Order: sequence, then C-alpha cells, then structure tokens
Amino acid sequence: MREIFTMWRDTRMIMLVAVVAAVYAAVLLPFKLFTIIPGITSVRPANVFPVIFSIMFGPAAAWGAAIGNLIGDIFGGTLGPGSIFGFLGNFFFGFVGYKLWGNLGPLSSGDEPDMRSGMQIVEYLAIAVASSAVCAAIIAWGVDLLGLVPFTVLGPTIMINNTLAAAVLGPPLLYLTYPRIKEMGLLYPEVMESGDLSAFGFAQPTVAGFGFLVVSLVWLALGTYALPPGSTGQMVLGAVGFVLMVVFGVIGSQGLPAVMDRTGIH
Amino acid sequence: MSTSPSLYVDRDTAIHRLTPRAKLALVSGLFVASYVFEHPLAVAVPLVTSFVALVWVGGWANFRRLRVIVVALFVVGLVVWPLFTPPGGPVVLSTPVLDVTRQQFLVALGRSERIAAFIVGGLLFVTTTSNEEIVSGLRSLGVPYAFCFAVGTALRLFPTLLGATGTVKQAQQARGHDLDAGSPVERIRNYVPLLIPVFMTAIRNVQTQSMALEARGFDTRGERTFYGQRTFGAADWVVAAFGLALVVGSVVLRYVVGVGTV
Repeated sequence: MREIFTMWRDTRMIMLVAVVAAVYAAVLLPFKLFTIIPGITSVRPANVFPVIFSIMFGPAAAWGAAIGNLIGDIFGGTLGPGSIFGFLGNFFFGFVGYKLWGNLGPLSSGDEPDMRSGMQIVEYLAIAVASSAVCAAIIAWGVDLLGLVPFTVLGPTIMINNTLAAAVLGPPLLYLTYPRIKEMGLLYPEVMESGDLSAFGFAQPTVAGFGFLVVSLVWLALGTYALPPGSTGQMVLGAVGFVLMVVFGVIGSQGLPAVMDRTGIH
Repeated sequence: MSTSPSLYVDRDTAIHRLTPRAKLALVSGLFVASYVFEHPLAVAVPLVTSFVALVWVGGWANFRRLRVIVVALFVVGLVVWPLFTPPGGPVVLSTPVLDVTRQQFLVALGRSERIAAFIVGGLLFVTTTSNEEIVSGLRSLGVPYAFCFAVGTALRLFPTLLGATGTVKQAQQARGHDLDAGSPVERIRNYVPLLIPVFMTAIRNVQTQSMALEARGFDTRGERTFYGQRTFGAADWVVAAFGLALVVGSVVLRYVVGVGTV
C-alpha cells in the first residue's frame, strides 16, 4: 500500500493523477446512457475508466478517480457531505484493479492486460465486479449513514451501473489502448521506481485479491438484504467492511510488475 | 455544452470575500444542522437559510440549472423512505402499495429536505469559491502540496477535456455514428469510438507536461505560495465561530434538549 504515498514523488505519476481525474470528470458529466434512479445514479460510460486506468496507471488511477469524482460533484453542483464517501468509494474503484491483476490465483491469466485471450477477459471481469462492488458498498454505506438514500436502494444500483459500463467497455478499450500506453512508457511499473512499488514483507497478494472480491460482495449482499437502513448493524457492517478493505490493501501487492518481469519486458 | 462549466459566480458579496476555510466552516455548520434533526420543520431552518444565502450571493441561476436534480432527489426520498420507516400515528396517505402513516411521512419529508439542504449548501460553497480558492483552501487546511497541485491541474484540464469530449462526439456523429442505436449492451459499446480519442489525447500530453514541469524546477516537497492567498481576517473568525456554534447548538438542541425529533 506504500505505493499510494510514494507515487507522489514522481512528476509523471502526479500528472497522471491530474489527467485521469480530468478525463474521468469530463466524460462522467455529459455522457449518460440510462437513468436508474432519477438524480441519483445512471449508467455512465465513464465508469469504465477507474478500472482500466487502475490496471495501467496503478495508484495514479486511485487518486485520479477520487479527485475526478470530486470535480464531478463541484461542477455538477452536488458537492456535500456525501462527496466524502464518493471520494473514498471512487478511490477504491481505482485502487482494486491494479491490486488484483495477476493476483487472482486460478482466475489470473498470467499475462499482461492486452485482452488478447479469453482468460484475460475472465480475469478482467472478476476485477470489474470486485472494483464495482467495493465502490458501491462504500458509497451506499456512507449515504445510508448520512440518512440520504437507503443502502438497499443505492448499493445494487451503483453495482449495476459500474459493472455494466466496466464489463462491456473495458475489454475493447484495453485491447485498443494498452499497447499504445505501453509504447509511451506510461504503465505504472515503468514510471515508478521498483523500490516505491515494493510490497511489505508480510504481503499475501492472492488472499488480498480474493478478499476484495468476496468481502465486497458479501458486504453488498448483507447490506442490501439482511440489515435495515440506518441501523446499528448497517453501521457496524460498513465499518468492518471498510477496515477489511484497508487491510487487504495493506497485505496486497501489485501483480503487473511481476507479470512484466516474467515476460521479460520490465 | 455551456462555454463555462464552472458554477462560480464572480460577485463581491460578504460571503465571496471570506476565505475558503471560513466558508467551509459555515457550510459545515449548515450540513450538521441539516443532518442532526429529523423533523421537517427543524430541517427546513438550515435549508431555507442556505437557499436565501444562495440567492443573495447570485446563485439563483445555478439553482435553476440543478432544479431537476433537486426535485428528482426530493421525490425519490419521499417515495423511498416510507418503505424503510416503522409506521406510527394515523394514516395520512393510502396507496395500493402502502399506507403511509404520519411518522413515515414526516421522516421521509425530513430526509428529502436534508438532501435538498446538502445540495443547496454545497451549491452556496461552489457559487462563492473559485477553483483557485478551492485549491489554496485545501493547502491552508494542511493537505499536501502535491495533492493540491493535482487537484488544481485537473480543475484546469477539465473544461478543455469537456470541450474535446463535445467535439469528438459531434465529429463522430457527423460521420454517421449513432449513439442510441441497438440493444442496451450495443448502446454502451457505441461509446468506444468516443472514449478512445478523448482518453488518448489527454494521455499523450502527460510526458511533455511532466518534462515541462521538471524543466521549471517542479518540486512537491518545498513550501509553496499561492497567488491571491488571503489571510484569515476578523470576518473569517466570526463566520468560523458561527459555523462552530451552529454545530454545537444543533447537537445540543437535538440530543440534550430533544428538539427536532419525529
């Protein structure tokens, strides 16, 4: 998890944060496919960006997605206490992808994410589901805590919204852009120093990978079907879920540098 | 697409003249007051106060721009919350799906007002605070400079990319690209030819912009100054104290005196 902080030492990573944020916000606001709940959530094609940017730009995508969502709130006129949870949720939306790629055990393709094989698409889809679930659970928990919209309503809608856009648009976008980004030398394992990317000695990348996937889905299911909105149980479930996400972030590590090392590219 | 996506209104009102920290303290007080109370009459106080202040600082046009969202959220709150609130008191509305009791209606109305109060409070802040002030305000709150720089750069890049997004959309449509054609999945896929040019145009500049920054001695570790940075004056202290008093007063009224419950 140290890369989340060490990335701020590199000018190119800082610029990537700014560009990711601006692109995310610029596509988020004008393009809306279907409205799920009027004024609350719609299927937006921009929701593919945190996931694919995460796989390519690593921690810059996590910060970029968080800032991009905040800019969307500022320019969209919806800045408020809910923006704190929007920031956190979108941070994890852009955080999970690079932690999971290459770290999903039997689901991992062992390849770079250029979407040239069926196994890569399976791995990508698992990441899209996990990223969307983490984001949905955090935002729905926060908005429920604020007493604005019940978890039961918002959790599944954000999950559907994010998963649809990320799953449908992600593979073709990665297929077309990954080779070009790699050619530009902007993949995070190439931009960041290897020391800044090193994991902790106690890292358990596969445990963390499956932890993100399973815990986020369980959190979403329990929050939606088992606990009433605004209840103490909902509050505790969210707190436990959030702490677990941070723990998985700490014990996880990024898989793409290892994949690139194995293939002799890095 | 509007030429300026910013909601900032350049006026010289007392709220505009405050530092971003003081404005943040003020809207935080309004947010807390909107949050702690349940009863619609109590939540109406911060809502109306925020709305009057918004109109006074010249934010009526911004509110009109967002009225559909505010109304939609208000209605969704009114419809959804009775389903998750225990019944109590007489039935005030009978529908084929649910009999809405007085308690359910009051809770739903209070929650809807809270949503509106949050939006109007946030709108008050962005109407009176420019992007540059938001960034310098973040720095004055102790947020690291590198983060503030990224936010500031993103805020500057955003209108350019928004314009580029509109241009790409028009260019593809002029070539016969129909975004609304096909099944729902096909409609999502239709966005691929739009997203790639926007994304690649922005990313292509990262290398050159980074080199330009480093050539000018860009360093995130040193202490930086901001053009137009304001000192925290007497008016700011008064407003910050008022914001704090709003927070404390609301909490005491709600949890000690018991005002604003349903």
